Amino acid sequence: MTREKKLKVTIDSRELEVRPNTTILQAARESDVYIPSLCTLEHLPSYGACRLCIVEVDGLRGYPTSCTTPIEEGMVIRTDTTELRSLRQEILKLLLSEHPASCLFCEEHDECKEFQGTIRKVGVTTGCRYCPNDARCELQEITEKVGLTETSYPVYYRGFSVEKYDPFYDRDYNLCILCGRCVRVCNSVRLNGTLSFKQRGKLTTIGPAFDRTHLEAGCEFCGACVSVCPTGALSAKVSKWYGKPDTQVTTTCVYCPVGCRLELQVKNNEVIDVLPNYDSPIDRGLICVKGRFAIPEYVLSPERLGTPSRLTPVGYEVISWDQAIDEAAKRLRGTKPEDKLVMVSPQLSNEDLFVAQQFTREVLGSDAVISSMMIDLGDDLVPFLELVTSSSTFDTIEDARGVLAVGFDSTYGYSPVGIRIKKAGREGALLVTLGACDSNLDMLSETAFQMEPPQWAEFLGSLVDYLARGGKGKVKIRKEWTSDIERISRIFSDSSTNILVIGQEAIFSSGRREIFEKARTLRDKLGWKIIVAHPYTNLLGMLAMGAFPGAKPGEFLKNGDAVTVDLPVIDLAKRKKVVYLIGEGRFDTIPDCDYLIYQNGLPPVASRQPDLILPASLFTESSGTTTNGEGRVLKIEKATEPFMDAKPDWWIFNRIAEKLNKGKLKYKDVAAVQAAIKKQVKGFYGGRKPVEFARINAERATKWLRGAPKQEGQSSGAGNNPSYRGIPLARVVAGMKAIDEWVNTSLLSDKEAQ
Amino acid sequence: MMLNEIVSTAVKKFGVGREQLLPVLQYVVSQEKWLSEDALLGVARAFDMSAAEVYGVASFYSFLDTKPRGDYVIRVCRTVSCDMAGKEAIMEALEKTLHISVGETTADRKFTLLETNCMGWCAEGPAMLVNDYVYTGLTPEKVVDILQGYMAGA
Ligand code: SF4
Ligand code: SF4
Repeated sequence: MTREKKLKVTIDSRELEVRPNTTILQAARESDVYIPSLCTLEHLPSYGACRLCIVEVDGLRGYPTSCTTPIEEGMVIRTDTTELRSLRQEILKLLLSEHPASCLFCEEHDECKEFQGTIRKVGVTTGCRYCPNDARCELQEITEKVGLTETSYPVYYRGFSVEKYDPFYDRDYNLCILCGRCVRVCNSVRLNGTLSFKQRGKLTTIGPAFDRTHLEAGCEFCGACVSVCPTGALSAKVSKWYGKPDTQVTTTCVYCPVGCRLELQVKNNEVIDVLPNYDSPIDRGLICVKGRFAIPEYVLSPERLGTPSRLTPVGYEVISWDQAIDEAAKRLRGTKPEDKLVMVSPQLSNEDLFVAQQFTREVLGSDAVISSMMIDLGDDLVPFLELVTSSSTFDTIEDARGVLAVGFDSTYGYSPVGIRIKKAGREGALLVTLGACDSNLDMLSETAFQMEPPQWAEFLGSLVDYLARGGKGKVKIRKEWTSDIERISRIFSDSSTNILVIGQEAIFSSGRREIFEKARTLRDKLGWKIIVAHPYTNLLGMLAMGAFPGAKPGEFLKNGDAVTVDLPVIDLAKRKKVVYLIGEGRFDTIPDCDYLIYQNGLPPVASRQPDLILPASLFTESSGTTTNGEGRVLKIEKATEPFMDAKPDWWIFNRIAEKLNKGKLKYKDVAAVQAAIKKQVKGFYGGRKPVEFARINAERATKWLRGAPKQEGQSSGAGNNPSYRGIPLARVVAGMKAIDEWVNTSLLSDKEAQ
Repeated sequence: MMLNEIVSTAVKKFGVGREQLLPVLQYVVSQEKWLSEDALLGVARAFDMSAAEVYGVASFYSFLDTKPRGDYVIRVCRTVSCDMAGKEAIMEALEKTLHISVGETTADRKFTLLETNCMGWCAEGPAMLVNDYVYTGLTPEKVVDILQGYMAGA
């Protein structure tokens, strides 16, 4: 690669060398020259709406906007002349003539800033709270920088009613300055296209087509528009009145296996908001609604379990940790290994999972550490794991020339994957979708095949057969598919990189066994890459840590041989003495038992009441790591103290082990757990490269599960409603519930229409 | 013609480059008198654009109606010179004859009454447009005559 030749320019009498192919504004910013601007933003295309970034350039007429003027060799630019300053003030005044300005021009302005505002009716210095964005507002900042202290125009209040009827964020277009950032982020970054300018002149607002609600218009509630809004026009419902956060903590989302980087906004030991990080290589800041909006309401839920308690004939009794540990130890002591069952959630951290398996094996002397994930997959578990452990990285989508997505929709999850697919489609890759109803990828797909899930496997089978024979020989294909399959096969076989994305609908469809098989053929015989978009966040960590029956820590990792998964037969119909649930909130999968220990953050909804409740801290409250779907080990950072008396999972295991006098678990902190993992699972914390897994032998028939509830083919099955630690997000997060209801009613009306 | 035929004819005629969006929308309006949701969705699909963007364009231009219109869309100039030349009386005559007020459409879907900004006929005001045809130097009597012509199916 040849290095780009720098350009010599003069900005404000300073001679500078700047990168070519940028705008004047970018060049100035990179050389630490401040030019005010309200509509430009990194990652967004330039727009030239606010006109504040005007400059003077020798040889150019008038005052060009620096955000849209390309920089050129030898340019002489002035950014801060008297003329420019007064023009900018005038422009800002005009802009503010349609924006309520009481927060900008007020005699008490300075005092207000110093003495924090409050909305409580108590004897403290109060400030106004008229706008959710106060003290975080770019308009306030710019007004100060441009040096405007009063305005000579009357403020025209547009009188739009505030739009509060959509989940997660409110919209007050009376505060909108029409910078178009939200429109650009929705269209060119999220490739979603919900927003556009509507009407003209003083009637202009922003919104979806036909004045629909965002929910109806296919909005993903990714909140990107809210984050980029420089004013208070768009604001998150939950966090809008909290004001400025105290700190920001970078962590990893554990709601799904993408593993997006999140910036938790913390105030008074509470997570009040969550922002994306556009520099994150995995997700590029393209987080979904769950990471963006569904965390504060979950971790701050009024239902949170804060103290250990035990079931008595007259209800729950609050007990101390010592009593609780005693109680747990008493129940676990003496029971035979086969009478005990430990179930862990794949949404725990690697460290918690490691200690969980160690606890089960070394302290309880049992190998039965399972997960409801295993029960979801039933006898298709091994082929599923085989695919999951050989999943490709998300980046591969960027080079793909052909993408086939089966039962995949990224509206409310997996958006970093979905948007990469859309981008590939937009850049000319062949995009084909196979689904039961419309998917959010359809707009950019070459062909969207709609058929009932049971037919997917057959369709895929025909395609695979056709591709495998390279169009030669006879392949049995249904008549109505023949021409389509021939056409797309031709493009797929010409393309250098093809990717099959298996979505949740496919994973929970009745033909999944065959879909997994066809995927294997595509991968092994035709060199396709596979991405399995499943909901089990730290599934790979679960395998690597050996929190899985019959596999010790590290056994699943690459060390030459293929692994054969030998699952012990587990009979869920057989009554157990003790069942110990860690982060498992689903009760449809657990066997009957005499004593039930429930360790989690929120109470279950179940007919079977737990006998002992151990309050666990959540991922915002303790540190550790998680493994994402690509095998990358990512950091989880503690942002707040645990809720009330809740404790991290590893700590609870530790204490029970201590009580049982098994001196093996003696971890002081998470670092100690990590040191133990390093010893047993070589290279796990190795660095930037994903952890590699051994080939799993998927040929052997595995009938390991008995007495499981039937759930194949139920598309309403577990995985489909996003949950964290077994609790559906829709149960505790109001907006997720609204989305859930909307999805269900629109599915219903789709069905009726057919 | 069916709606989807209208859209596909327009697309065939003008193409689907972004710069052809206005001609295509204008064509649909010329056939249908207004842009229904289905029409805009059809155009959006053909252009590979989001419905929001196409709707945004349509709602920007007053001559791209996004509400149902009658066969004859009457637009009376509301700019100063026509106003001073007696626009009020013209409006009154129109409203009385058609039994509707500004912004409305007659029950038989024949006439829609609207106002518009300057059409450049200030010297010969008051002026009005019926679909594409301009009438100038209007008087209330003339207006009634014109309307009767259209009512008779001219
Ligand atoms: S939340 Fe996301 S998808 Fe919805 S309008 Fe905003 S940017 Fe667009
Ligand atoms: S895509 Fe997955 S990891 Fe990213 S924010 Fe959403 S739930 Fe979290």
